[in-house]
Amino acid sequence: MKLSDYEKDGVFILEPKGKIMGGPDATLLHEKLHECIDQGKKKVIINLSGVDWMNSTGLGILISGLTTLRNNDGELKLANVTDKIQSLLTITKLVTVFEAYDSVEEALKSF
Amino acid sequence: MTGPIIKNNTITIPSLEDYLPDVDNFVEDILEKYGLNKSVIADIAISVTEVVVNAIIHGNKSILEKVVTVTVDKTKTAIEIVIIDQGEGFNPEDVDNPIDDANLLKEVGRGIFIVKSLMDDLKIEPSLTGTRFTLTKNLQ
Repeated sequence: MKLSDYEKDGVFILEPKGKIMGGPDATLLHEKLHECIDQGKKKVIINLSGVDWMNSTGLGILISGLTTLRNNDGELKLANVTDKIQSLLTITKLVTVFEAYDSVEEALKSF
Repeated sequence: MTGPIIKNNTITIPSLEDYLPDVDNFVEDILEKYGLNKSVIADIAISVTEVVVNAIIHGNKSILEKVVTVTVDKTKTAIEIVIIDQGEGFNPEDVDNPIDDANLLKEVGRGIFIVKSLMDDLKIEPSLTGTRFTLTKNLQ
């Protein structure tokens, strides 16, 4: 997995690419999310367009980011959720937990 | 053992999650050669990583000297993946129901639930010398 990020309209956007399955790659995303929180960046979008799939480790990282941000009056939103990840969110009922948008632009507007 | 060892259709890794990409690449390469579509390959790959993480952490307790082996096979009707750890046997199903509302925000505990959802069968055989997982995906 590769990870890039940028800021737009006061929102921090993370763009992981590849697969999120645990090990060092997953640690990278986890640390980046918590770095945002530590720096007071409370509005975060994860653009999943480049993520082929993730397993429960990836889902756990998203939940960790979501709950930590919410506990700090922030919000985490998802954009461009791929079919495979959407299917996992549905199976695990996490579709009821995350706000997901069809594009980063739509996610940006929702803040 | 200092890294992954591949022999025919089996990969053996030390108990370290850093080797998950090696397992994934190995398994996906074989599944692509079998001509499976991308969605099915992803279902199997996700499931394999779930079980291997369980085997490393809960089975082998992340003891580097203990290994996890993953073997990929194809029968006339199914893909069968066998994953074996060297732990003292554990029941990975002994977790709270991850889709209960009270558990939705828990960061862990979904792995085996996901495997059961994505695969057609999951057999778990714990023993004092290790746990053997057999994952089956039927060929349509």
